[in-house]
Amino acid sequence: MITAERKPMEEIVECARNFSRVLLVGCNECVTVCAAGGRKEVGLLASALRMHFMKEGKNLEIIETTLERQCDPEYIDELADSVGQVDAVLSMACGCGVQEIARRYKDKHVFPMVNTKFMGASERQGVWAERCQGCGDCVLGITGGICPIARCSKRILNGPCGGSTGGKCEISPDVDCAWQLIWDRMKSLGQEDRYEEVMGARDWRTSRDGGPRRIIREDMAL
Amino acid sequence: MSLKKRLSKGEFVVLAEMNPPKGVDITRLLSSARLIKGRVDGVVIPDMDVGVMRMSALGGGVLMNQLGMEAVIHVYGRDRNSMAIQGDILAAHVLGIQNLIVTTGEDMANGDHPSAKVVDELDVVGLLSAVQSLEDGADLSGIALEGSPSLLTGCAIEAYKDDASLEKELELAAKKVEAGAEFIITPPVYDLKSFDSFYAKASALKVPIIPTVFLIKSVGVARYIARNEPWAGVSDDLIKRIRQAADRENECLKIAGELAAGLREKAQGVKIVTIGWETKLPVILDYAGM
Ligand code: SF4
Ligand code: SF4
Repeated sequence: MITAERKPMEEIVECARNFSRVLLVGCNECVTVCAAGGRKEVGLLASALRMHFMKEGKNLEIIETTLERQCDPEYIDELADSVGQVDAVLSMACGCGVQEIARRYKDKHVFPMVNTKFMGASERQGVWAERCQGCGDCVLGITGGICPIARCSKRILNGPCGGSTGGKCEISPDVDCAWQLIWDRMKSLGQEDRYEEVMGARDWRTSRDGGPRRIIREDMAL
Repeated sequence: MSLKKRLSKGEFVVLAEMNPPKGVDITRLLSSARLIKGRVDGVVIPDMDVGVMRMSALGGGVLMNQLGMEAVIHVYGRDRNSMAIQGDILAAHVLGIQNLIVTTGEDMANGDHPSAKVVDELDVVGLLSAVQSLEDGADLSGIALEGSPSLLTGCAIEAYKDDASLEKELELAAKKVEAGAEFIITPPVYDLKSFDSFYAKASALKVPIIPTVFLIKSVGVARYIARNEPWAGVSDDLIKRIRQAADRENECLKIAGELAAGLREKAQGVKIVTIGWETKLPVILDYAGM
């Protein structure tokens, strides 16, 4: 999933300051799972904002709503009525959702309420960690299901660097060395010989380096 | 007199562009440079232009210094992060390079390493500010330097298709000047009249404007530009002139020379780009009376 964290209150307050009516929109997908921008967080933020401006002696009217998915034009359309009633939209979705709102409602200000972080998974209750960088040419099949691009600090592709110590990465004792994880897993799979295979220079065009990416499915496109 | 002094005195400067080799054989670079030593004020060394891997501009620039010629090296953020760029700028100063042009790296897609990883950490304005900061004695983290570099730093205006995109380029150029750019290189000029209207606007930037003269090497190239960049100013008359010439190659050199001579009346300098025909630079300079 895409993970996110709510922005600091001061920044949010500054976004809302110049408006009297705003629409606060959450998203039921990733940001709900990582507890950053779902229905519950919309409620919490709306109260916090109202309270903040009340203390300043100002009345901020907030319409609260949460869409099934904010990165999908179909759901974005549902906002038309409420968007019409406000001066600005505050989106609690990831950057994709914010941009869909901006694309659909051309004359409305849109502000992100969260900092979109990374594609990751929940390691345990309350902890999310990066797992994939969307490089466009997945190597998990030859690295024992552990990604060296997202999880090795140096993104190196042919075994650990000299800083790997006791299973930890040299950047911090809190970070697992991805190549240790890969090696351990290959060993348990009896694939030690695959570890010897050299990965050549990658083609980074499939990653962000080839410019903004898109997928076109001729069989589905209208 | 150094390029910096000449520009600050308002004297016309002549620059010629030369690419370092793809490899370590520097014979061609050095022999072409020797041909114009004393006739140009600086040699512009692009850094892996059009995404083709070559010897770095820093290397090429140092070679020019060794020949006793002033180098102007390209710097941009496509291939280096802020660490590498700052380090190279310090090295450039110490190795005797006095001039930089901060540009935008061209798209890798058309180069010979399309799969390479792109850095693009600093854009042109960010890079110009980095140079400024180094000159002021601190790196981008604000840590004081032991001795700071001093460089003449220019920038470029990218090709523009119409008035609207020219406006955008000029706005951007104003930002670049504010960030420390001390001169501006323009896109190739093929037609002196349209340069006048450009110059009328660009001179508001209050830094020396150095137009580019791009050597058209054949009718084919002229037609190609006319077809693919109709806004560039390659006219039918120009194409006809080359086509009807008895010695087309010579005509091309003459056209470039005439343009350079014409620009002498209008701008603060000229940068001549010959893409592989560097040995013909003396002829162009002859035609230009430079
Ligand atoms: S190899 Fe690429 S696609 Fe696969 S997990 Fe790593 S970053 Fe994601
Ligand atoms: S210690 Fe391991 S995870 Fe850290 S940079 Fe080196 S190889 Fe990568």
